[in-house]
Amino acid sequence: MSWTFSKFVPRSAPAVLLILTFAAAAAFAAVSHLVTRFNANQQSRARRLYTRGLADANASRYADAIDAFRAALVCDPQNSQYQLSLARALRDSGDPRHLDEAESYLAALWQRAPDDGTVNLALGRVAARRGSIDDAIRYYHNAIYGVWTSDADAYRRKARLELIDFLLQKNARGQAESELIALATFLPAEAAGHLQAAQLFAQAQDYPNALTQYEDAIRLSRGDDRGGATAFAGAGEAAFRQGRYRTAQRFLRDAITENPADENSHALFDEAKEILAVDPFVHRISDAERNRRIASAFANAGERMTTCAQSKSISLNESDGSSAPNSLPALASRWSAMKPDLRRMSSHADTDLPDTVMDLIFQIEQQSAIECGEPHGADLALLLVSRGREAADE
Amino acid sequence: MNDPVTAETTARTTAKEGVSAPSAADQASAAWHRFSGPQRLFAAIEGVFDEEGFFLILSVFIGIFAGLAVVCFRLAIDWTHLALLGPLPQNHSWRLFLIPAVAGLVVSVLVIHIFPAIRGSGVNQTKAALYIFNGYIPFRTAIGKFICCALAIGAGHSLGPEDPSLQIGASLASAMGRQLQLPREKLRLMAPVGAAAGLAAAFNAPISAVLFVIEEVIGRWSAGILGSVVLSAVASVVIVRGFLGSEPLFRIPVTTFKRPAELIAYAILGIVGGVAAIVFAKAIGFLRPRLKALPRWTQYFQSAIAGLLIGLIGYLGAPQVMGAGYDFMDQAMHGQFTWQLLGALAALKILATTLSFVSGTPGGMFAPTLFVGAMLGGAVGGVEHIFFPHLVGSTGTYVLVGMGVLFAGFLRAPMTSVFMVLEVSGNYEIIVPVIVANTFAYVVSRALQRTSIFDLLTRQDGLVLPSLEEEREETVLHVEDAMLPAPAIILSGSDYVDAAAARIRNSPQSVFPVRLQPTGWSSISRDLLERLNQEGKGEHTLGALLSAQSLPSLYPDLPLDAALRFVNNVAFVPVVNRADSRKLEGIISSESVFQRYQAKHPQ
Repeated sequence: MSWTFSKFVPRSAPAVLLILTFAAAAAFAAVSHLVTRFNANQQSRARRLYTRGLADANASRYADAIDAFRAALVCDPQNSQYQLSLARALRDSGDPRHLDEAESYLAALWQRAPDDGTVNLALGRVAARRGSIDDAIRYYHNAIYGVWTSDADAYRRKARLELIDFLLQKNARGQAESELIALATFLPAEAAGHLQAAQLFAQAQDYPNALTQYEDAIRLSRGDDRGGATAFAGAGEAAFRQGRYRTAQRFLRDAITENPADENSHALFDEAKEILAVDPFVHRISDAERNRRIASAFANAGERMTTCAQSKSISLNESDGSSAPNSLPALASRWSAMKPDLRRMSSHADTDLPDTVMDLIFQIEQQSAIECGEPHGADLALLLVSRGREAADE
Repeated sequence: MNDPVTAETTARTTAKEGVSAPSAADQASAAWHRFSGPQRLFAAIEGVFDEEGFFLILSVFIGIFAGLAVVCFRLAIDWTHLALLGPLPQNHSWRLFLIPAVAGLVVSVLVIHIFPAIRGSGVNQTKAALYIFNGYIPFRTAIGKFICCALAIGAGHSLGPEDPSLQIGASLASAMGRQLQLPREKLRLMAPVGAAAGLAAAFNAPISAVLFVIEEVIGRWSAGILGSVVLSAVASVVIVRGFLGSEPLFRIPVTTFKRPAELIAYAILGIVGGVAAIVFAKAIGFLRPRLKALPRWTQYFQSAIAGLLIGLIGYLGAPQVMGAGYDFMDQAMHGQFTWQLLGALAALKILATTLSFVSGTPGGMFAPTLFVGAMLGGAVGGVEHIFFPHLVGSTGTYVLVGMGVLFAGFLRAPMTSVFMVLEVSGNYEIIVPVIVANTFAYVVSRALQRTSIFDLLTRQDGLVLPSLEEEREETVLHVEDAMLPAPAIILSGSDYVDAAAARIRNSPQSVFPVRLQPTGWSSISRDLLERLNQEGKGEHTLGALLSAQSLPSLYPDLPLDAALRFVNNVAFVPVVNRADSRKLEGIISSESVFQRYQAKHPQ
């Protein structure tokens, strides 16, 4: 080569490169050692700060926890656990401005491990905080089908339960029911799980599935008084909402036996009893009893209509052809016209008459409820029977 | 045709090939037979590398060493910060108040007595090494910069680690070049190569580093050094990522740009950023010479007083302005601060950085510039959001764009500013807002102050260095600017002398261009043509007589400087069409060239 090297190094390019390579390797080793020691020192400091942050977070002192986690991350910036904890603290702090930052930490973690169940669950919770149904479903599903290092089934179940809870809050009942059915399929033989699923089904107004889950919970919770009482009460209410008043009565009686202070079960039990006493369509009653119930219901409906009209200053005598067929005056007119026909019921001459009378009674109870609010006692029982029959017709 | 430019290039290429390629092969072959064993390998390698190849490999080593140095530098800053201020400084802590002042005092003593050459950011010093000191930067500068900047930044002075990293890289490269006794032209290039490596490592952004070194250190586009600069920058980034991880400087939030109407909002940000950049630059430009002019003994305390004032800002509730502030930029990007606080932090950071910088505390301007831009971007975005809630993007987008805005307006590196934002964010969706905002910032800043901050600081130090920004403004003259119209009579190489003499008889021209066959140009004077005719050579063609006297020709778009080499000693040089070299566009003479230059630069 025509150009010269230093006096201190041989005048040869390969030799120079060799020396530079050795020098670079030595410097590399030295810096590696330095970085390793520095990192070890930093990680030790970060662990102390992280422990403090965890204690603060567990005590719901989120502002302190955030500071501690931030400081831990200053010392050990790439620690996923610290990032996750900071993101959780930011999310749980209740400050909506923190959600962006929490999400960005989690998004960075997600990019590193897109199938990590913990990260996806945390992202799902952020999405739920934001109220974003699509994102929440996506991340919760990722969490449900993602990788969990331990106790995977429990975490997956928890993720699905949270998702269902969120969907119910957002009134997305259809999606919630789909998730619930999936949840119910894989529930373990534990009363608590079935009880929770039953409650969510009930929240989604899917009473048949709720009742099934309550029944499973009752079966699995024998000996657990508290769990049993809740399950009985829930089963009773689920049966009641389906119009299965005898079943409801049976479960509610057990619920009251298990927990006599359960006022809701008492109320529902009384209501079921009332319904069973006034409903002319229940099985295993004689024709005479049915006719008696219809006559009694007819009288009740007339009284309810009159009381309601008086309270709202509606004149029941002002019915003309122009008034709506469901208005109280129109119904009163029909009620008066039908009164003489009641005597014919015992003669069996007109087999459609009981249904016609009951239809009028139901219309009166429903219209009165619209005009004057929910009734009590026998009127409420009749109203519920009418709604049950409507639902059955649909 | 005897095209001078083409001819020169060809000659150069031929010469180069003649010297390098065959001789390298010959050397390898000779060495192979001369040596045995490991020596053969050496000889073979030696034969492979020519000077340029060796320089490229050396650039990789520069990148490696600069990367390692920057890793240590960053550890030193982190360690100092943790040791002196703790991991997360809290307001109203006595440490905030006292540590920067004490550190300032220590740094002042070190700068005055041991490392006098390390004041400032390091960008100008590296540029001066390239243009004035033949690439010489004392190794002591690297050591001093490392120690003093780590102490100052770690203690909370409002400065950044990027520019010092640039100078550390340049200084290492310069020392390496001196040890290898590289030729002067190569030694000169070592500084920018090392600078790119240092900056790329500090910023974890190789493209921005390369562009910045070209824009601000080299000061002109030079293809010759580009390969080495890129190699060193990439090598250093690989090293830094290997040791410190490939995490970006910031966790980039979701940034969006959907409606073109939003560009108005970004343009406003650009204008505000341009004005803020000028305030920043004017404050430094005004205070720095005045503080330097104070008695020498005051220099012991200038950095300490600056530290005290910065500590006071931190103590009173804005510790965010202390140090480089990357963590807080990250928080701003994620909407952690209100727009009022963001605005206040931008103003306080300008104040704190001005204090740190003008007091002579060594440290960089990159990080503070990004900080001010980020906070200002967030604040402007916040205000715009109040007035145009449906028009404005996310805070993160504004913070990111704001960074580029200050970079363009304050450092006046428009290309670097755009690529820096793209490289840091990894998001090309915001390229349009970034370009719009940066352009406005640059134009506003340039309109309000012609000289960039780096040029201003250089001139305050009594140096004059080339500036790419000024070069960009300068009008480049071309051959066509000095070109005279083509003469009325153009002779042909196939013309007979007697016919040509008859043709020119009534012409006022004294010299005539001759179009040779098949290509090329020559000229002939009236006197020569008439003499040849009288000597009885009327039967000869002009081409036969003038074939050995062909003229170089030029193209209209060539720089006028290129014409200077050819117009001497000839009456004119033909200017020909690039598509058809036989078509004469005009002529150029030494008089026309000089007249054109005089018209551009009147005495």
